[in-house]
Amino acid sequence: MLDFDELHDVIFSHFYHSLFFVKNVLAQISGRLFSDSGPRRSSRLSGEASINSNGNAIALSGNGTNNSSKHLGGSKLSHIKFRSMTIRKGQSWANENIEEGIHNDVQNDSRLNITSASSCSSHVIEVKSCEQEAPTLPDGGLVMSSSKVISGASEILSLLRVLGEGYRLSCLYRCQDALDTYLKLPLDHYNTGWVLRQVGKAYVELVDYVEADRAFSLARQITPYSLEGMDIYSTVLYHLKEDMKLSYLAQELISTDRLSPQSWCAMGNCYSLQKDHETALKNFQRAVQLNPRFAYAHTLCGHEYVALEDFENGVKCYQSSLMIDERHYNAWYGLGMIYLHQEKFDFSEHHFRKAFQLNPQSSVIMSYFGTALHAVKRSKEAMVIMEEAILADRKNPLPMYQKANILMSLERFDEALKVLEELKECSPCESSVYALMGSIYNRHNMHDKAMLHYGIALDLKPSATDAATIKAAIEKLHVPDEIEDKL
Amino acid sequence: MAAESSEGEEEGKLTGGNQILMIDDDLREMGKKAAWSVSSCKPGNGVISLRDDNLETYWQSDGAQPHLVNIQFQKKVRLQLIVLYVDFKHDESYTPSKISIRAGDGFHNLKEIKTVELVKPTGWVYLSLSGADPRETFVNTFMLQIAVLSNHLNGRDTHVRQIKVYGPRPNPIPHQPFQFTSREFITYSSIR
Repeated sequence: MLDFDELHDVIFSHFYHSLFFVKNVLAQISGRLFSDSGPRRSSRLSGEASINSNGNAIALSGNGTNNSSKHLGGSKLSHIKFRSMTIRKGQSWANENIEEGIHNDVQNDSRLNITSASSCSSHVIEVKSCEQEAPTLPDGGLVMSSSKVISGASEILSLLRVLGEGYRLSCLYRCQDALDTYLKLPLDHYNTGWVLRQVGKAYVELVDYVEADRAFSLARQITPYSLEGMDIYSTVLYHLKEDMKLSYLAQELISTDRLSPQSWCAMGNCYSLQKDHETALKNFQRAVQLNPRFAYAHTLCGHEYVALEDFENGVKCYQSSLMIDERHYNAWYGLGMIYLHQEKFDFSEHHFRKAFQLNPQSSVIMSYFGTALHAVKRSKEAMVIMEEAILADRKNPLPMYQKANILMSLERFDEALKVLEELKECSPCESSVYALMGSIYNRHNMHDKAMLHYGIALDLKPSATDAATIKAAIEKLHVPDEIEDKL
Repeated sequence: MAAESSEGEEEGKLTGGNQILMIDDDLREMGKKAAWSVSSCKPGNGVISLRDDNLETYWQSDGAQPHLVNIQFQKKVRLQLIVLYVDFKHDESYTPSKISIRAGDGFHNLKEIKTVELVKPTGWVYLSLSGADPRETFVNTFMLQIAVLSNHLNGRDTHVRQIKVYGPRPNPIPHQPFQFTSREFITYSSIR
């Protein structure tokens, strides 16, 4: 009867008004149902004349000739539906939400959590008020007969509940919970463009780019002309270094809509991957021009300025991104990176902490937060964060490497070596791991082992700068002759 | 430093030239951040022609040899490579043959770090600034001077069509001794 995909998009773009929308939707549904079945059923009921006339009145309003009366009828019906909802689910939902709201407050006192909690409770109040109104309705028996309406409506509502819950969780960056929630959806609904894009976004926040790619490409198959979220998809492809896919995506998006910021973000990411940061910057600036309220485009501009080592403009971009959306953690992260570059460690720590508070599940943010903490001489906290980061994402080698770095600067060489040995097992082709091991052995005065690891590091094609550093270090090593021969 | 690095490369003769500019991924163009000047030029063939990404236009000197191109940076930069576009087929006696590269803090203390001889080049010519010692892979300098000491066929003035200056890309990750090389490390090393 209704296109659910459309319904999702409409309703979730106005999440906090969802209840209002639900009422309207129900008004329409019930109106349509009643327009053909209302009179017949009421006559079958063989009730009194007053009921009959009442039924006719509803049927009339259902035809949509009179808008105000339609709304009246609709709201009545929705009240009745709410009664059935509250009997079955409403109550438990309300409790659950209140609990979660409080839980959030304790766990993380960012502002949105509080507002979301309060909005939840306001929903609950509405539900309760509906419940109170419901029994006062005059002709309950008439509507009760249309059990199909009620079950259909409650089904829709329970569906919307799952979607709303998932969206709420992903807005709070509780992405794993959000993913679990979306999994509760029936398959038909899970495989819709909107849900898959949300799933993709959640995976991005969790730094699982492979899964994100899968979700987004499915979403693109289903809704090839939808642009929403495609900026994020292009970033996923950027991270995965899928230059072919990325440029194809960018081309397609541009041909779909040249005037959408998402298309130009994808184009910019494409150039950025080719290391043409100037052109990338131009593309991102075009995205900003097209929609100055598009926070992500500002952030991407900032990233490009950083790549061009123009930190001043980078800071400006990140700040304008945060002006639009304070909860855009990527911009906080970007600022943290700039201050880390500039060795303003206190600032850096502050900004990474902000990013971490917003998205506490990203192992990348955690490990940079740890690095910043270490830089401000709070190494104990740094180590705790690093351990958390390692546990949070086993696939990500970054926190392990950063941990080894911290251990090394704390002169806990043996522990650092242990971590690096582990890393070596996971990714045997990473030059920097061997180089770092080499320099640890060097500090340890174990020149033969240092030589061996430096050698391997050189074989794995390090950057020219690193190659020069390593070669210089090798020249300084005092290696006994026979070992040098063996190598 | 200057004495050491010029040892191996002193006799370096370069022929040919590439039609397509191919640059390693870990290098980036640094010339944009510099102030460019030349010792002399003909009106309409000024210093701007060296940096306009147009191979049709050229800088033409108009004075006594050596002809100089000065590249001054605002801060000390790390440089590794200079690339020139010269065209013997078109420019004939205007084509530079002996080039000296000098580096220093300013005009007062320039030191020669390299000389090269070009033999009938057409296309992009790569002049590496690296010395033999691995510690001299890069030149850390405020200023670079490219001096055209002589031309082919004893030509007086010179034509150079493009000059590009490259330095290594900095590590995208601050405070890390070594850059990541493998894909999995790079993928997970940043967010956007």
